[in-house]
Amino acid sequence: MDIFWTILIGLLTSAGITVIVTISALFVAVILGLALALLREFSGKAWIRVAVDAYCELFRNIPALTHLFIIYFGLASLGLRIASVPAAILGLGLIGAAITCDIYRGGYASLKRGQTEAALAVGLTPWQTIMLILTPQALRVSLPPLGNYALQLMKDTSIVSAIAAPEIMFQARSMVTSSFQTTLIYATAAVIYLVLSFPLAVLVRRLETHFGQGRA
Amino acid sequence: MIEFLLSFVSYWSEWAPRLLKALVNTALISALGFIVASVLGVLLALCLVAKSTPLRRLASVYVAVFRGIPLLVVLFLIYFGLPGVGIVFNALTSAVIGLGLCFAAQMAEVVRAGFLAIPKGQFEAAVAVGFTPSQSFRLIILPQVLRVSAAPIIVTFVALLKDSSLASLITVKELVLEGRAIATEYFMPLQTFIWVGVLYFVLAFPLSLAARAMARRATANLR
Repeated sequence: MDIFWTILIGLLTSAGITVIVTISALFVAVILGLALALLREFSGKAWIRVAVDAYCELFRNIPALTHLFIIYFGLASLGLRIASVPAAILGLGLIGAAITCDIYRGGYASLKRGQTEAALAVGLTPWQTIMLILTPQALRVSLPPLGNYALQLMKDTSIVSAIAAPEIMFQARSMVTSSFQTTLIYATAAVIYLVLSFPLAVLVRRLETHFGQGRA
Repeated sequence: MIEFLLSFVSYWSEWAPRLLKALVNTALISALGFIVASVLGVLLALCLVAKSTPLRRLASVYVAVFRGIPLLVVLFLIYFGLPGVGIVFNALTSAVIGLGLCFAAQMAEVVRAGFLAIPKGQFEAAVAVGFTPSQSFRLIILPQVLRVSAAPIIVTFVALLKDSSLASLITVKELVLEGRAIATEYFMPLQTFIWVGVLYFVLAFPLSLAARAMARRATANLR
């Protein structure tokens, strides 16, 4: 039983890094993704649309692990060294921006065209129409899929152990090499992730029932 | 800059045979993992829409558990953990099982949504015109479910293909692991991992485009 407590406490101390990486990457993804979606939808310039689309496709069709290795090992070979935790946040955040950009675009696409026409007709400027009328409604529709993304992101932080960011899985792997309690350690890690994901899953369910009706 | 671009291109011929061989393994574990995920996922989806409460509960617990645990943890449990209780799989088999188990949960949700999109009257009408229940399911319901779900199923496969990269961490000789080997041999991590990324992109991008086209056609049909 003593062994179990040592394992549990060891893993829980590194859960802090998991939470920090998740929240920071989520922050980067949500903000950058919105900026990309706004540029993509409203800039009116073809080259910006193409650039944003290219960004999204590049980040969505290549595994996160490959992106993390490019940022962590690849950039270091050019002399640009980024510590493992910032590299993890940057990598997951940049990938996340491509995902959230698509979510927001879906949100804008779900709005009726009359919204824009009506807003312009009552005298709002195009900028006001975008920021005060369209974006708040698009965000509302985007909340359930954003919640789903956050849940996925929390699980995906486990792979940043591969670039030595000291989160739960990294801690688990290093404890395995010193204690050989392989099965128990990974099973405990699984339970910790399950416990971490549970509140997020409940939140997603709430968001879906609360904001879901408008989509159908 | 020019030097970098040249090094990027000039080593391709040296690396290509190794990377392409690894690409075959990536495709293999992805395809096999997808088959496991599809079969298990359809069974789970059937349980999720079943009348029996215990079946529904069981399936939704499965989905909740595998949606909450990262694939990497599942892979480590299978490959490193199970030998501790006397069950040993080789790396490739572990990867296929892990991918299959995790993505079955996602497939179950996708297929369940497909079932719910088919009006109940379809089944009743099929039985009324003389099909047996099993025929109605196989010939009337399932083909429609697969058509509605085609786009999200492809999206799920692309996600699985990308996540098959995690198999490198349990020593499956797929793209990322071969990339790491080449990167350390030649001291060129940037060039190798960009090539690795290009190869994934070449596989995944056409599928993503196809999924988008199908999704567009599916919504057009509904209107």
